[in-house]
Amino acid sequence: MLRMTDPSWPADPDLGEAQIAWVRRHSPVLDTFVRQLLGDGALQGVRVAVVVHLEAKTAFLATVLADAGADVVVAGSNPRTTRAEVVAALAARGLRVVSSPGEDRDRWQRELLEAADTVPDYLVDDGAELTTLMARHRPELFARLRGVSEQTTTGTTRLRAMQRAGRLPFPALTANDARCKHLFDNGYGTGQTALQAVLRLTNRQLAGAAVAVVGYGFVGRGVARYARAMNARTMVAEIDPVRALEAHMDGHTVGPLARLLPEATIVITATGGINALAGRDIDSLRDGAVLANVGHHDREIDVDGLAARSDSWEELRPGIRSYRLGERRVHLLAGGALVNIAGGSGHPVEIMDLSFAVQGAGVHHLATTDVEPGVHKIPAELDDAIAAAKLASLGLAVDVRRQDQADDVADWLPGMCQP
Amino acid sequence: MSRAGTIEWAAPGMPVLTSVGDRLAASGSIRGLRVGVSLVLEPKTANLLLALRASGAEVIVHGSASSTNEAVARALEERGLAVFAERGATRQRRAELAHAFLATGPDVLVDDGAAMIRLAHRDVPSLVETMLGATEETTSGVRPLRAMHAEGALRIPVIAVNDARTKYLFDNVYGTGQSCVMALLDLTNLQLAGRIVVVVGYGWVGKGVAHHAAALGARVVVSEIDPVRALQAHHDGHRVRSLTDAAEDAEVVFAATGLAGAVTAEQVERMPDGVLLCTAGGGAFELPMEYLRSLGSGQAVRPGVTEYRLSSGARALVVADGECLNCAEAEGNPIEVMDLSLSLQALAVDYLATEARGWPPGVYPVSAKLDALVAEARLRHEGASLEPVTAALDAAMRSW
Repeated sequence: MLRMTDPSWPADPDLGEAQIAWVRRHSPVLDTFVRQLLGDGALQGVRVAVVVHLEAKTAFLATVLADAGADVVVAGSNPRTTRAEVVAALAARGLRVVSSPGEDRDRWQRELLEAADTVPDYLVDDGAELTTLMARHRPELFARLRGVSEQTTTGTTRLRAMQRAGRLPFPALTANDARCKHLFDNGYGTGQTALQAVLRLTNRQLAGAAVAVVGYGFVGRGVARYARAMNARTMVAEIDPVRALEAHMDGHTVGPLARLLPEATIVITATGGINALAGRDIDSLRDGAVLANVGHHDREIDVDGLAARSDSWEELRPGIRSYRLGERRVHLLAGGALVNIAGGSGHPVEIMDLSFAVQGAGVHHLATTDVEPGVHKIPAELDDAIAAAKLASLGLAVDVRRQDQADDVADWLPGMCQP
Repeated sequence: MSRAGTIEWAAPGMPVLTSVGDRLAASGSIRGLRVGVSLVLEPKTANLLLALRASGAEVIVHGSASSTNEAVARALEERGLAVFAERGATRQRRAELAHAFLATGPDVLVDDGAAMIRLAHRDVPSLVETMLGATEETTSGVRPLRAMHAEGALRIPVIAVNDARTKYLFDNVYGTGQSCVMALLDLTNLQLAGRIVVVVGYGWVGKGVAHHAAALGARVVVSEIDPVRALQAHHDGHRVRSLTDAAEDAEVVFAATGLAGAVTAEQVERMPDGVLLCTAGGGAFELPMEYLRSLGSGQAVRPGVTEYRLSSGARALVVADGECLNCAEAEGNPIEVMDLSLSLQALAVDYLATEARGWPPGVYPVSAKLDALVAEARLRHEGASLEPVTAALDAAMRSW
């Protein structure tokens, strides 16, 4: 029987290998469609640095790229999420891995620079971590980069800022903007796994719980939908009036935090910004409230502000820090870090199969097409082809638009668009 | 974290148990009573044990080899309780622990699956003669006890805690349903969205599993032998098919019948490659484990998942060795529902020591009064309010 390991050395490469094999089994798009795409040899001898949360799903993406002839170097995008047994398994497979597990941020940054020093042609990046680091610390290598494929909303924002500043001399593809990424990863993946992590860490129940979701983007929507489907009373706080109206029509109670928080037994932040729960919000929390974050920033819940307002705090059980505020106690999960990754096992495999297929196809697109410098989406045809490959793997057939339907659209569109 | 951390975490989430414990302590009704508890040994149960002890009972603990939380067992020992539980104990050691537990001579047994009640009847008849009675937690335990009583073999009064509305309407549906579905996702790192999930048995647990799986986007198929329950599954929006038919495109199978042999070898042979087999509420006896093991040694593909190669060539993946998923590989039911179930257990022990003392053998329900007491206590904690029964409403209810 395989056993769970603690993330320390020496790690068992067999366990990592088993995890990667499990991922492969549930990643039909990467394993067939992307492999076929890369089969043209476009990545032969090309150096690709893969900088994503270093666990089994990322390892499989790295393997697929390496099998296509790419010279792959792998690094973790967050020092806290690197899995020792996966690093060991990748090393045993002969891939170059620069990251080691642990919380040391300085070491993590040195390791990222090691990845930069291998002189990569392309980056598969998460949060634009390596891209921005190279721009700052390895400008000559940065200038040689031929392209970046970026995973997240946050990274995309950074890349756009670089472009505006005239500091992006190569093409960057935003995987997050692909429909096969954000429609599934953000909604279904994060929605399911955030609740999984909250329930696993707390042993609590959703039926009858009052769940407040802060932010109603794709992630917030997913969390709220699954929570309500499991019989929670859901509440949504949102600053965008259109999204707030959508939340209302989806059947959630909408209101300002000051009104929602005194009722909420579970509060989940999903804004992608900072200080979504801060300052006076903390005074509105009820006794026993559980706080979790699924947005990108560790600073989405103002943990320092919470500590400053508290009389004391203690680690009550793994992943739960309990703050005492007068007569009240509030419980923070996973230190306010992404609860589904820091306090769980990350996204479901099937979801990452889609997201990483976008990344793999993105790198191929960069290597085979003359793309102008700047931030771009992956072509819609690739997006469609990935979804079609997933459907085919499920044995699902879909209808094709008939000629008369296509003609109808072609006839009417110009007319409709005219004033 | 201290070993007891999880016990302390659960405590504030169990306000009903706290109030029941206070009530028993004040009344002194179970003071000096020797209570043998054989439940899933985990943090919530630990709070029941501590509440019984605080009320003056002498508490002896037994836990199964597959579901015992080792840290909790040792923490309870440190607090001075007699604990007969070792996770992963061998067959022989399991028997030793069970017999040693019964040899302490409990006045009342708090049982799960009627395992200890049946063992005592078979192996320790002298104990059965002197016991006040027992309480039973589960559907799987109440059924054989009724069968025993019908044959005249039951020698003690048993309170069927499972049959209380504040137990099966909540624990089985929301507790086991949620925690088994979530444990599967935690163990496999997979999604349910779009998957075909076959739920075998549409009792309270099956209903809960089906509901939670559907909530997470699964396409649920229910197989049932009872036509009324099957019709209910249909009305709940699930597809209803015989297991033999449903087997062909099953991606996940949850056995939720509590019955041995609910899923047969022939049915598993019809299932597609990669099917995940697991049990919610009952145990590995629901799955054809002997057959699977006869095919050759299973291969561990990740923690908690064992792969067997079927004669058909397909691979079947058994989760948690077929044992009840939430107890074997997670932290059992959520705290909130165990507050209800375990409060009922404490009240049932009190009942055997007082009102039900000296009752003839039989399987007895929890009184409606206790059911109402538990529900009202929890509602109070949730800040809910009840509509009062006015004289006019009372008259309306009585009119005919």
